[in-house]
Amino acid sequence: MAAPLYELCGATRYFELGSATIKAVDGVDLNLDAEEFVAIEGPSGSGKTTLLQLLGALDRPSSGEVHFEGRDLGELSDGELSELRLRSFGFIFQQFNLLSTLSALQNVEAGLAPLGIAAAELRERSLAMLSEVGLRDRSSHLPNQLSGGEQQRVAIARALSASPRVVLADEPTGNLDSQSGADVITLLTDLASKHRTTIIVATHDAELAAKAPRRLAMHDGRLVNGGEKSPRATAKR
Amino acid sequence: MFYLSYLRSELLRRKGRTILTLLGLALGVALVIVISALSRGLDQAQKTALNPLSSIGTDLTVTVQPRGLVAGSGFANRTVLTNLANLGKPGQHFARDTFSSGSQVTFPQSQAKLIEGLSGVSQISTGLTLTVQHQEGTVPKITATFKTAAKKYQVSGQTRPSAADLAKMAACFGKLRASNPQSGTGNSQSSTGGSSSQGGSLTGGFSSSETMRKCMPASMRRFRQTFTAPGQTHTQQVNTPQTNIKTSSYTIGGVDTTHTNMGLITPAQVTSGRFLSEKGGLEALVANAYASSHKLKVGSTLSLKSTRFKVVGIVQAPLGGQTADVYIPLKQLQKLAGQKNQINVLLVRATKSSAVGAVQKEIEKAYPTAQVASAKQVADQISGSLVDASNLAKSLGLALSIIAVAMAFMLAAVLTLSSIAKRVREIGTLRALGWTRRLVIRQIAGESLMQGVLGGVLGVALGIAAAAAIDAFGPTLSASSTAGGSNQGSARGAFGFGQVLTRTATSQVTLKAPLAASLILIGFALALLGGLLAGAAGALRAARLRPADALRQVE
Repeated sequence: MAAPLYELCGATRYFELGSATIKAVDGVDLNLDAEEFVAIEGPSGSGKTTLLQLLGALDRPSSGEVHFEGRDLGELSDGELSELRLRSFGFIFQQFNLLSTLSALQNVEAGLAPLGIAAAELRERSLAMLSEVGLRDRSSHLPNQLSGGEQQRVAIARALSASPRVVLADEPTGNLDSQSGADVITLLTDLASKHRTTIIVATHDAELAAKAPRRLAMHDGRLVNGGEKSPRATAKR
Repeated sequence: MFYLSYLRSELLRRKGRTILTLLGLALGVALVIVISALSRGLDQAQKTALNPLSSIGTDLTVTVQPRGLVAGSGFANRTVLTNLANLGKPGQHFARDTFSSGSQVTFPQSQAKLIEGLSGVSQISTGLTLTVQHQEGTVPKITATFKTAAKKYQVSGQTRPSAADLAKMAACFGKLRASNPQSGTGNSQSSTGGSSSQGGSLTGGFSSSETMRKCMPASMRRFRQTFTAPGQTHTQQVNTPQTNIKTSSYTIGGVDTTHTNMGLITPAQVTSGRFLSEKGGLEALVANAYASSHKLKVGSTLSLKSTRFKVVGIVQAPLGGQTADVYIPLKQLQKLAGQKNQINVLLVRATKSSAVGAVQKEIEKAYPTAQVASAKQVADQISGSLVDASNLAKSLGLALSIIAVAMAFMLAAVLTLSSIAKRVREIGTLRALGWTRRLVIRQIAGESLMQGVLGGVLGVALGIAAAAAIDAFGPTLSASSTAGGSNQGSARGAFGFGQVLTRTATSQVTLKAPLAASLILIGFALALLGGLLAGAAGALRAARLRPADALRQVE
């Protein structure tokens, strides 16, 4: 049996807020397989976003381990993590996080540029991605000239442009009306299955979560439903 | 190249911030360029105006001071007396020039030869610098009208009748009384003018004055006397006569025209026209400051003691004790001033610059009364706006430049940092997209560097424009040096005008702001440095951010 895509054991992330210590993620054990569509549910403040950031190598656990494809992310250098984010992870944010001074095309290019590919290829691949999300004709538009749904589609194109192993989406429909939210999810899941990409969505939208084959629930930083003892974690106990 | 188009988009689409940063940098750079150019200009101006001796080929000036203030020789320190009575007929226009030597005693030209013989002396030149007191006006009329009041003279006198007369009168009275006895009673005695109380001896009773008149001798009937009134003195104040005498003074230098490589003025100082010809004719050079204030130019004529001199050149006079407003050939000045073969300044050039000190000591030893001034000593006496500006530029220029640069850098850094603060989420996004820390820093520093380049270009352009504007409308700075009497009191006679004589020479220099390639390069480098510093500050800030923290930032 192939090693799981993710293995988390006792992953904890806490923040010092003055004298108080806030445990945003508190001892999470979790195994995730490739090409899964996973929804992480929970009220706001339950630690979904922090867990996503740990999974996406944007943050390091304060204690515990996060293994991705067998590598302990806590042990990797900043450069190696950047490389992982570039090639293996794609991010989708509630606020879309498009670069406001760049056109739709440039925003997609920004996700590919660090690969160091030639300008022509960069442009070609980015345009192809925009075509996949149906925005090729809006490639020269600036973010503020696009609707929310369109902006999120650009973000999806950007997240998927480097053909990552995992797309991590944090409340992707949070800023969209239900129709465009539904469209975005459909687009995301379609593209993910086409590109054989794992999708992990943090949401408190039950409708969206219901579409996921696997649902995890978080409360106060703890995984309250769907967590699994990973073999690694079991071994450690 | 994606990174460049990203950079371009950032700068173009955040115009306000970009322009503000560019302007800040540009102003700083322009200020530095202008200030440096100005201090260069002042340096140059100083070299021409404040380097009084070397520009006229001289190391030392030798003058003789009067021994004690009172004992000043007849010619030195003299006040100008104007005797209006000697000027001409009342109502006539007069113009006269008086020469004065200030505090420099004249000495025979032959003495110069002795100094020329001293060791270490390479060459000497002689000169005569005098102050001309020019008076011009109308001779006043001095008249006074006296009017006295009418006077009455009362004269009384008496004559003594002779014995014969009295006898005659007695006889007459007797005859009349006999013929007319009634008439003689009770009549009071009366006498008319001239009759005296002696008439009392005649009492005996006149019947009437008619009787008396008849008996009076002819000599007493008509009385006349001549007399002489005593001498009288009338005193009345006479108003001071009014007239329009204008007095002006300027310095004049007699130039040895036989050699032109050194002297009170040399061809090197001629800014327009030409130098005095070797013959030493009726030609004059005028210092630019004097020329502009008296509206003189090449070709104008200058009248001096009724001798007309033609202005052949305008000079930028070197300042120092011997600077003059007008220069004419030495021989002409000696003749006009009645100072034949007399000079009051000797210019000395040493064989080499290291010998100047020794020569100065030697001259001072040989001539204890001589005052020997070196270039530095002369320069120290110079004052005026040029000196002030130069001192100001020296002390303030550097400080101002540093402040300007610091302000520009701070502005650039603050703007960069504030834009970084606004772009924290953007940086987090880039990191999430797989940008390494190095790439993010490069991008942000690149933006700042580009702003530095553009700000530098703009600043250099601004600086060049400002320097050109200063050149075009450059203010005129002046420097002046004063020589001559200082402690003499002024005497003022009843009809004379006294004046203390000092010689003040002024040189004018138009302020320029000369640019140099090095200046422009420095300005540009400063802008680049400013951009880099701001970029580094921003990049450091950006690099310290953890991607997750950066993303957590709420806009």
